[in-house]
Amino acid sequence: MAVTLNASTTTGLVQSADTSGTVEIQSNGTTRLTVASGGVTTTGNTSIANLTATGTFGGGVITSGTAVASTSGTSIDFTSIPSWVKRITVMFDGVSTSGSSSILVQLGTSSGIESSGYISYSNQTGNSISSAGVTSTAGLIISLTNNANIIYGNMTITKLTGNQYTEGVNMGLNAGANFALQGGGSKTLGDVLDRIRITSGNGTDTFDAGSINILYEG
Amino acid sequence: MTHRIVVDLANGTITQVEYTAEEQAAYDAAIAAQAQEAQQAEEPAVVETPAETPVEPTNEV
Repeated sequence: MAVTLNASTTTGLVQSADTSGTVEIQSNGTTRLTVASGGVTTTGNTSIANLTATGTFGGGVITSGTAVASTSGTSIDFTSIPSWVKRITVMFDGVSTSGSSSILVQLGTSSGIESSGYISYSNQTGNSISSAGVTSTAGLIISLTNNANIIYGNMTITKLTGNQYTEGVNMGLNAGANFALQGGGSKTLGDVLDRIRITSGNGTDTFDAGSINILYEG
Repeated sequence: MTHRIVVDLANGTITQVEYTAEEQAAYDAAIAAQAQEAQQAEEPAVVETPAETPVEPTNEV
């Protein structure tokens, strides 16, 4: 039993009341929303224009960050990543830097960006060339070889358990000729992830083309 | 001044954050070190040639 509020197509509003502590919202006799002591449940399709989650979140919603032009600066930070996030997709669209240093994606906590303790490899293949690859302990690395490199594609960062993360990258790279770029890595943070930084391996190259955004989901 | 870009997902704002004086000094030092490294790489290596040892005359018959 429940308190019911029914929007009837024949008689308009129909109400009933009891002492169950449960409320049901009905459409022409069919319950679509139930509020009970254990929480809220819905039936049928649910349309939510804007959902902000707090506390423990069941997930299933992919949220887009804000796309930013990667045309200046030495790094781009995405901050205030919610604690319930289990997967982050970093999207690079035509991104280039002023130098030849590889790109690093670094993870961080409320204490700041962590710049050590990574295991990360990346290389380029294509046009009968396979580079020996590069490695980094300072961040999740994306192999670039010169300032003409322009990258398109995604890096996916996933929570393995606790504060332990793994990463994979698959991209296309244009450097006059075209290459495929791939890699992977891992990192265990000292605390809960709440930010990421995209920067260059030497810390001094500046972004000079493209745009970057992230998707995050629980 | 050098800067970084910060995207705050809580409110969607994009902010350009200028380096602090300390960060800028560290950045300038890194750039100078890279320039010096590049210059050293371009300079031809000095090859030391061993001094010629005089050949002692032999009494050939």
